[in-house]
Amino acid sequence: MIRILSFTLVLVTGVVCLGVYRIAEEARITAAELRETRAAIVQENQSLAVLGAEWARVTQPARIQALAERYLNLNDRPAAELASVSQLPPKFLPQPEDAIRNANAVVPPPGQRPLPGVAHGALPGQAAAPVQTPLHTGT
Amino acid sequence: MRRDPDPAGLLRGRIAIAALISAVGFSVVAARLVDVMVFGAAPLRTAAVVASHARRADLLDRNGTLIARDLPVSDLYAMPAAFTDAARAAHQLAAVTGADEQRLKTAFQPRKGYILVQRGLSPDERETVMKLGLPGLDFISGYKRVYPGGRILSHAIGQVDTDDNGVSGLELGLEDRLRSQSAPLTLSLDTRVQYVLEHEAGEAMRAFHAKATGGIVMNVRTGEIWALASLPDYEPNLHRLQPGDSTRNRMTQDVYELGSIFKIFAFTEAVQENTIRLDEPFSVVSPYRLGHYLIHDFERLGPVLAAEMVFAKSSNIGTAQIELRSGPQKQKPFLRKLGLLQPLKTELPEMASPLYPRHWETVEAATIAYGHGISVNPLNFAAAAAAVVNGGTLVRPTFLRHPEEQHGERVISEQTSRTMRQLLRLVVTAGTGTKADVPGYDVGGKTGTAEKAEHGSYAHHLLISSFCGVFPIDDPQFLVFLMLDEPHGNRESGGFATGGETAAPAVGRIIARIAPLLGVQTKVAANP
Repeated sequence: MIRILSFTLVLVTGVVCLGVYRIAEEARITAAELRETRAAIVQENQSLAVLGAEWARVTQPARIQALAERYLNLNDRPAAELASVSQLPPKFLPQPEDAIRNANAVVPPPGQRPLPGVAHGALPGQAAAPVQTPLHTGT
Repeated sequence: MRRDPDPAGLLRGRIAIAALISAVGFSVVAARLVDVMVFGAAPLRTAAVVASHARRADLLDRNGTLIARDLPVSDLYAMPAAFTDAARAAHQLAAVTGADEQRLKTAFQPRKGYILVQRGLSPDERETVMKLGLPGLDFISGYKRVYPGGRILSHAIGQVDTDDNGVSGLELGLEDRLRSQSAPLTLSLDTRVQYVLEHEAGEAMRAFHAKATGGIVMNVRTGEIWALASLPDYEPNLHRLQPGDSTRNRMTQDVYELGSIFKIFAFTEAVQENTIRLDEPFSVVSPYRLGHYLIHDFERLGPVLAAEMVFAKSSNIGTAQIELRSGPQKQKPFLRKLGLLQPLKTELPEMASPLYPRHWETVEAATIAYGHGISVNPLNFAAAAAAVVNGGTLVRPTFLRHPEEQHGERVISEQTSRTMRQLLRLVVTAGTGTKADVPGYDVGGKTGTAEKAEHGSYAHHLLISSFCGVFPIDDPQFLVFLMLDEPHGNRESGGFATGGETAAPAVGRIIARIAPLLGVQTKVAANP
């Protein structure tokens, strides 16, 4: 009995030793891979840092301005001609469907100029809407 | 008599010892497995996050554009004894690294130890050196601070030394923060606005053959400095000055007698103290005698001017009379309250203290009213002017992004601030600053033309010409200051080198270009 137990223990010990060796070896390989991955990450981070700096250099306003003047046929516009979308007047006002169905157009007689501030095509039953003041973009 | 040991008992004892050793061994292995698998798991998971080893944090502008960054570089050393042909090695290394070939040839003596070939090689340059296949080379890795914008922002950002320590500008002023944090530091500066400011300031400097120039763009409510330029500037990436370069930040390091632009404060005081009516007539017959001194105007402005036109036409005589109604006893505390008599505190370490007379009597009060006899740095002036137009509260200029409005100490009433905005607008519509007007934006401002002191007296031909513009004047958001040092009149300015003819048009152009970038909307005329 004791011999069988001893033999079994020796066998188990041998297997465990092999197992531990294998795990140790895998751990060593994994550690080496980890080191390599870390080095690669550092390398990539450094490349990203260099590329970021390079991007900042090539997108400097002075360089963009020079390139725009050289290759784009753009003119400087006076600031007064620039406006944001929120400043633009609405293209049309939403109307009820009936009003749109019954809409007509009033054409002024020949030679008669429209009254200032009165819109054409006033909807039946509605007062004529004042003319939208166009966006003044001049100086 | 010796007794023979029991063989069976001996065997059991040995087996027990072997079993104990095995059990201990297995326990150690099991414990280690538990340690690795359970307790050691967390560090392994985070190991993939590799921290940057840069020594200083990045500097970004307010839009996230990179301003300064530490990049990996290598310092190259060579052991001359390893070279078979030292002269050829010196030639090859000089060609690849940009080092001085003659220096290398002289230094490459066989008995010498390691010689520094070149500092700060980029990874690409290092690779090229490696491809030479020379023996006896050694690289020491490090970091180099690079400024992708080059000269732009050089004075505000400053520089680091070869050991990456901040030596000037924000690199020095924010040294502790840049060293302690890894996240980028976002500044209030805007690279686009800075470019426009530097471009227009440079154009004005060339057009009027000025010795130097400088400008500031500041948010009058948050105190944020959006741009700060000082020309001549320098290339911070080179670590050496080229001919004509200057590391002097004229907007903060130098103090100037700014001249008539200072009348803003004399009138603010008068309006606040209620010592004048804006339509009140003042005699501006030149010269105006004050004790032993005579005060002149730049040009004849007529025998009488209303107070508001004294400001708009920039009459020294009228302004002196207005100031004397308050007198030095009130003027000095008022200027102190505006922060004009104390050094300004910002993140920039280079900040000159104001200069003002120790004996502040009637004559000094009169001259200080029109900007002579007191010297401040332009940023100090801009901070005080911002308080005048923003509703009356002090703002502390800052170079860090801080979009929230500052609510500093109230120095003047909102009504006084409103009145001053009207007066500043009058300067641009009917005064000396008409060339600063920008269609679509209501610009207000004040011109300044100061004579520089030379050999104990004022030199008529050496001027400091400036303009301080504010827009939109009904609800001011930004202040644009521009100063030219010793400009000379040209054909375009009619031969004049005054602030209204030199700095004001440049400020107008700056506002026209930056207002859309700043999000300031144009005034759409209701009735074309």
